[in-house]
Amino acid sequence: MSRQDQDHHEITRRVQFPLASNSYRILYEIGVGVSAVVYKAICLPMNSTVVAIKSIDLDQSRADFDNFRRETKIMSLLSHPNILNAHCSFTVDRRLWVVMPFMSAGSLQSIISSSFPDGLSEPSISLVLKEILNALSYLHDQGHLHRDIKAGNILIDSNGSVKLADFGVSASIYESNSARGWSLSSSPLTDVAGTPYWMAPEVIHSHNGYGFKADIWSFGITALELAHGCPPLSHLPLSKSLLLKITKRFRFSDYEKHEKDKSKGKKFSKGFKDMVGLCLDQDPSKRPTAEKLLKHPFFKSCNKGPDFLVKNVLQGLASVEERFRVAKTLQSLQPVVNDKNDSTDEDENEGDVISGRREKQRRISGWNFNEDGFKLDPVFPTESSTEDDSVVKQVRFGGETIIKSNIKIPSVLVQAEKVTTLHEDSTVGELTESNLSSPADQVGSSSSSSDQQGMGGGGELGESSPSSPGLVVGNSTSSEQGLDRERVLHDIVLIRRSVEEERRILLEALRVLGAEEAVDVATTREEILTQTIEKLRSELEIERKKNLELEMEVEFLKLQISSRTSD
Amino acid sequence: MKGLFKSKPRTPVDVVRQTRDLLMYCERSSDTRESKREEKMLELYKNIREMKSILYGNSESEPVSEACAQLTQEFFRENTLRLLIRCLPKLNLEARKDATQVVANLQRQQVHSKLIASDYLEQNIDLMDILIEGYENTDMALHYGAMLRECIRHQSVARYVLESAHTKKFFDFIQLPNFDIAADAAATFKELLTRHKSTVAEFLSKNYDWFFADYNSKLLESTNYITRRQAVKLLGDILLDRSNSAVMTRYVSSRDNLRILMNLLRESSKSIQIEAFHVFKLFAANQNKPADIISILVANKSKLLRLFADFKTDKEDEQFEADKAQVVKEIEALPGN
Repeated sequence: MSRQDQDHHEITRRVQFPLASNSYRILYEIGVGVSAVVYKAICLPMNSTVVAIKSIDLDQSRADFDNFRRETKIMSLLSHPNILNAHCSFTVDRRLWVVMPFMSAGSLQSIISSSFPDGLSEPSISLVLKEILNALSYLHDQGHLHRDIKAGNILIDSNGSVKLADFGVSASIYESNSARGWSLSSSPLTDVAGTPYWMAPEVIHSHNGYGFKADIWSFGITALELAHGCPPLSHLPLSKSLLLKITKRFRFSDYEKHEKDKSKGKKFSKGFKDMVGLCLDQDPSKRPTAEKLLKHPFFKSCNKGPDFLVKNVLQGLASVEERFRVAKTLQSLQPVVNDKNDSTDEDENEGDVISGRREKQRRISGWNFNEDGFKLDPVFPTESSTEDDSVVKQVRFGGETIIKSNIKIPSVLVQAEKVTTLHEDSTVGELTESNLSSPADQVGSSSSSSDQQGMGGGGELGESSPSSPGLVVGNSTSSEQGLDRERVLHDIVLIRRSVEEERRILLEALRVLGAEEAVDVATTREEILTQTIEKLRSELEIERKKNLELEMEVEFLKLQISSRTSD
Repeated sequence: MKGLFKSKPRTPVDVVRQTRDLLMYCERSSDTRESKREEKMLELYKNIREMKSILYGNSESEPVSEACAQLTQEFFRENTLRLLIRCLPKLNLEARKDATQVVANLQRQQVHSKLIASDYLEQNIDLMDILIEGYENTDMALHYGAMLRECIRHQSVARYVLESAHTKKFFDFIQLPNFDIAADAAATFKELLTRHKSTVAEFLSKNYDWFFADYNSKLLESTNYITRRQAVKLLGDILLDRSNSAVMTRYVSSRDNLRILMNLLRESSKSIQIEAFHVFKLFAANQNKPADIISILVANKSKLLRLFADFKTDKEDEQFEADKAQVVKEIEALPGN
């Protein structure tokens, strides 16, 4: 009798899904990455149960199979209502299929970008985060670090249930074989993993090791992401804000203005701010554990059920496949001009792709949480980029989220491109090849080794080295040749051309979208397109503004060059 | 759970003893009342978890080596490991995972600078049979597999497994349809064939004929992409290990082996090609090539040179380029046909 009960328990835990591809019928594509595609599918022999299938191209990923072994193992051995399990996994020729429950509302990141660009309401945030904390608390108790907590990895089902997904870069304390890997309270991990915007400072400086508290940091960043609609600083290209610091005399007030616009009309409760502040403590040991965070007043006061999410967040939401289709359509409108970039260097995160934007990733060495402004002030790395290269390695299979194995920051000017632009790769590509030295090098060579500088401190960087004002291109500290007037001018011309190209493409995209709208009859689609056009228009505005700024910079550079040559 | 710890502070020895009693109950019980049984099982889960917490520490405290030593000693003083392995299928998922981590940790615990787990396993080597057969049970495979991999850290245990009839089974286990299980078996197989150098070298020389016949036909010529890719990678690891040089010399003197590797070189999969190259280079670099190897290379000289002409890794790899240049030189030096 008791045996039977036990068996029953086991069966409900893991129903064996068929291990052959012909038992499934693929319906739609709902996500793509560099080497993985996610499908909505049905499992034919199981009453056509709807499932999600992540299909990973194994041949494209050079990664050790141990990564796949770990991910699939974790996904079959974890058992928690807030964690997305795998039904099963098997290979189909060169691809690995991971069959999972289908979460019909998709990722929170895609929900936000399609319906809540300015962020969710506080009750919704509290509800979602509480579920994620439950998952984290369980995960940490099991000795696992997720290492990639972000809205893109939080999935919602139509009934409002919330699950943490994607264990592609997770790590187990018990499996880490490092010398100090034998206790839970220490910092056993030393490899860099995750997505830069969400990454804790100690993960970036991973040689000292890090532990569970790195997830708590990312959790805090995710809270900001849900509150503002995007993670801190992703609305600004990081290199631009760097430029801003170096060339403070230009007084680009863009950053501050943007922050003001954002926070206008948005008030956050004391509890929320306090909670995020705790998570974003520079010192990992001072951050609370997941279990402790659950007792924070911000979550204690949360008494809403999943219905609240259904009513307030999911209502009127387009289906996952529809949202993906729109995003993909938008992407396909980007003409590929001259794809010189190594595509494997690009981050193509599922969630980001769904939202129709790709974020250029840059590393940040630290953040200073500014509780009043409810935002993070970035601190940039001060090591030279060659050192960075040795620390950062490609840690994630499937290229879904990649820390570029060879981070080259092409040029401040070129990178000064908004993350939401629809096409950033091709026009920039050529410049990456040129010999502009990266701004990180400049900062590294001209500033002290302190990496805890906030915005204020950063502003001094330019002044601290008067001999190499602001934007010295091709400085001898990082490349052997000195200032090359010809090259700089050439680059400036290129930059200008790329900006013009950019504008042209945007206009083209607008035109095409307009035309398509006229043809299309489906109302929902029309609505979406109208929204998209609105978005594109505002982006065009931003683009124009930026163009102007860039032109100003070009003028400045010319000025510098002429003053140099006259020296 | 915290309340439990506070109310009765028990020694590590107490925890092990109680665990053992409960495991014994668990093994024989089928008659007692449902509620009673459930209560006992919960008690057992708590104890296993406490052992884990003593061995690994928790978020508040580091493990104490004295406590770990006491626990380890008591654990292996009697047959706790056998009980735990046998009862594992009766535990719930969380307790199975805890138990697996406890067993893994115990393999590395030293008592008076001795790995007493190794001594215990030598006396109870049949436990390996249970663990290996676990690969045939979908529910247990990942737990038993993880325990097995920890146990074969001990050289004597690895030797037993290698020399048993079980080794043959791994050729099938690594091709099981469940990817997570197949991958786990592959990890164990790799560990068996790479960890203890002298044992592996001895095993391979003694079992050369059947082992490589099976390796070639079942793995390198498998229809399964993953199997071929993993097998050719592992073959490279084995043959390139200095301790296996005798085996390597033998392997690269066989024309059948060369034929298989040349087929792998021609695969459309880049990853397989690259791995196959690392084995193929051994055939080419062999300074005492048998006549039939030379004749195959000569017959394919131009094809091989053409293949290598645009054979590149995705990322720059100096070692690979150097090896390739060496191989090309060797082949060019062969008499033309």
